[in-house]
Amino acid sequence: MIVVKNLEKHYKIAKRDPGLRGAIKSLFHRKFETKKAVKKINMHINAGEMVGYIGANGAGKSTTIKMLTGILTPTSGEVKVNGIIPYENRQQNASHIGAVFGQRTQLFWDIPVRESYELLKHIYEIPQAQYEETLKEFVDVLHLEPLLGIPVRQLSLGQKMRCELAAAFLHRPKVVYLDEPTIGLDVAVKVRIRAFIKQMNARYGTTVLLTTHDMQDIEEICQRIIIIDDGSVIYDGSIQDIKSQFGDKRVIHFELEDAADSFVLPEEIRALTEVLPTSDEDPHLVSLSFSNKHISGAEVIHTMMNHYSVADLTIADAKIETIVEEIYGRGMKKEVQHEEIR
Amino acid sequence: MRKYVEFARVQMQVHAAYSAWFWANTFSILLRMLVIYFFWKAVYSSRTEIEGLPFEGMITYIIIAMFLQMFVSGVGQELAHTIKDGNVAIELMRPYNLITRLVAMDLGDKVIHFVRGALPLSILAFIFMDITLPTSWQSGLLFFISAFMGIWIGTFFDLLIAILAFWTINLWGLQVMKEAVISFFSGALVPLILFPEWFQTISLFLPFQAMVYVPVAIYTGILSGTEAWLALGSQVFWAVSLFVLLRVLWSIAIKKVTIFGG
Amino acid sequence: MLSRYIKLYYLFCKQNLKVMLEYRMDFLLGVLSVMLQQFAGIFFVKIVFDHIHALNGWTFYEILFIYGIAATGRSIHHIFFDNLWTLGWQYIRPGKFDRLLIRPINPLFHFIADRLQQDGFGQLFIGIIVIGTAMPHLSISWGVLEFFILVVMIIASGFIFVAINLFFATLSFWMVDSLPIVWTIFNLSDFARYPLTIYHKGIRHFLTWIVPYGFTAFYPAAYFIEGSGFERLALLTPVVAIVSCIFAYWFWNRGLKAFTSTGS
Repeated sequence: MIVVKNLEKHYKIAKRDPGLRGAIKSLFHRKFETKKAVKKINMHINAGEMVGYIGANGAGKSTTIKMLTGILTPTSGEVKVNGIIPYENRQQNASHIGAVFGQRTQLFWDIPVRESYELLKHIYEIPQAQYEETLKEFVDVLHLEPLLGIPVRQLSLGQKMRCELAAAFLHRPKVVYLDEPTIGLDVAVKVRIRAFIKQMNARYGTTVLLTTHDMQDIEEICQRIIIIDDGSVIYDGSIQDIKSQFGDKRVIHFELEDAADSFVLPEEIRALTEVLPTSDEDPHLVSLSFSNKHISGAEVIHTMMNHYSVADLTIADAKIETIVEEIYGRGMKKEVQHEEIR
Repeated sequence: MRKYVEFARVQMQVHAAYSAWFWANTFSILLRMLVIYFFWKAVYSSRTEIEGLPFEGMITYIIIAMFLQMFVSGVGQELAHTIKDGNVAIELMRPYNLITRLVAMDLGDKVIHFVRGALPLSILAFIFMDITLPTSWQSGLLFFISAFMGIWIGTFFDLLIAILAFWTINLWGLQVMKEAVISFFSGALVPLILFPEWFQTISLFLPFQAMVYVPVAIYTGILSGTEAWLALGSQVFWAVSLFVLLRVLWSIAIKKVTIFGG
Repeated sequence: MLSRYIKLYYLFCKQNLKVMLEYRMDFLLGVLSVMLQQFAGIFFVKIVFDHIHALNGWTFYEILFIYGIAATGRSIHHIFFDNLWTLGWQYIRPGKFDRLLIRPINPLFHFIADRLQQDGFGQLFIGIIVIGTAMPHLSISWGVLEFFILVVMIIASGFIFVAINLFFATLSFWMVDSLPIVWTIFNLSDFARYPLTIYHKGIRHFLTWIVPYGFTAFYPAAYFIEGSGFERLALLTPVVAIVSCIFAYWFWNRGLKAFTSTGS
């Protein structure tokens, strides 16, 4: 259904010296810097698959999605969605796809939801009978009935997202791109949305490409994940595989009494554990990652307690979340080192 | 006081950051000046004076009035938007007077507008467009006082209209309507002496002529001596009454926010 | 294909009208304000003509006629194509333009159809009244043919406004928001309210052949004014409208292409 070969996207960024002089100088000769947002990506997604597409911010996720939807033309490489090259036949491609882009609404802001759907019916040329049937189904599953008469601007975030999803699936598209469909929603709505996506897939064989930061979404919806980092695919495989591959990974978060910047890994465990970078928000936090094949959690905790006064600790188990955190962590560390070299 | 000076200063920086709009504005004013010049040149092609005004006097009036009109509107739009999007409730909790803050920001805006826009452009107009200096240094001085009053009146009138945003929705329409009424009655398009008698009588009782017509008429010598002082007196009257009216309406509006939640 | 777009436009319109009627006060306020604005301009001309008989040989009603055509033509643009103003700050900057690109219809069509501007009706109303007032005072006898030509001229005038705004709005694809430029260029149309003969030759040529605002009012009006000397040039108005629309649309497509390759 989706075939991507050696896909690349480079951006040219005009470099400008600061200040007025820089502005004038840039009028005459511009210096460009090429940023490779996506580097030689390959992927092959079959009809009916539900794939989680994950990566840190700026890793190249949305650039890829934009190329798949035809909004962006690739620098080189090949994209085919349902046999169509999206950026060449954008409108043709558009009638077979659906999309939800996070917080940006696809619906018409000022008019009631039902009217929005009516318009979409005509835009996508959905036959009346099919439209009625689909809408009825969606209204039941997503509990849309009370929302249909309300203009989109008056809906809450969760209500809006439910309507949004219905709009994306309304014309029974072959592929649906979901970008952060559950961001900022409460648990009950998340559960409903996940159930809906699964049901659509089971019923119509819709191919789903899901990008999210919520690992719960991934674990419940997707059979397969693709992880992208710094423009390259660093993992592509089933969730089972990644679990067994990294299943022995453990992460323990230590809350120290003292600030963590003076923290040094104790000698005894230095060879077997690794410090993960943490956010600056909590200066007392230290996260250690290790494989429980080589060293047990108890041993790590014991050693840490001997050397530092630990206020609190949390053990993260081998959920996909931990694994991805670990993989991201490596990417982030690379970046940090990079920064230092510069 | 200090914080309001700071607001004015920040506003100047904000203005300086939008250089695209600055150039668009400058260019548009130049275009307007060109249209005005050729239009009046054509009007005067077969005569030497209208109501006692020769071409130089007329073009001087029109151009100065055009510049002055740019300064008689204020920050009404900001106030209206603050009211509309509900931020007014947050603003009211802050440790400053919202109106004073907006006026301070407006002042900053006007200063930078004057220095970067109106001043160089009016010098240009002086050189290329047969614009004359005030008839005497006294009328020049009087013009500055009167122009200041005019801007003051315009600023408060603008805020007054903005407070109506509590009761209406279409801000753009309100704004356009205000602009139209001002250019009608303020004498920004033509000197009021060209208007029919009845119209002049009506506008005598409205605050609009105090915004543009009075200062520019003093500049060009249409109003002089006792007449000029009387006109200045009416400006003082309008400035004080609008100020009081603004305070009253504002406190009513605030009550609406605090009691009914906006 | 065409019928599908007409149907779609009708549906978009219907929705837009519904929203408009939801805010009835707004509708009235908007229409009234634009009417007042237009009226201020006409009043100005009237005041000036109280003191002179002719402006460079043009009578009051001839000037009024030019003014009326400008207002009516502009109202077509104002009512149906007002969204052009918002391309940069409401579509491209917040990323809303992407939404149009993943729909199976022409993005320009979608973009234009997204909005119907109520306030423009005020302009249309005033424009028609002004034309109606001036018409009997022109030394031409009005037959069916003249009426037909007048309507064609007004529509052409409207589309010249559209083409010029579309052209400069398209720059937003490269620079995110070209609104200052669009606005400045639009201000050039102020020239078109008066007979172009009062201006310097350079300005006249510029407004005829570079940014053709002259064809939005003065030339089409001159067709109906005996002895204006521009009757021949006036007939070019529909041609100018078509050519500028084609050119602007070509430029829009270039812009769209640039946009999809940089995605900025």
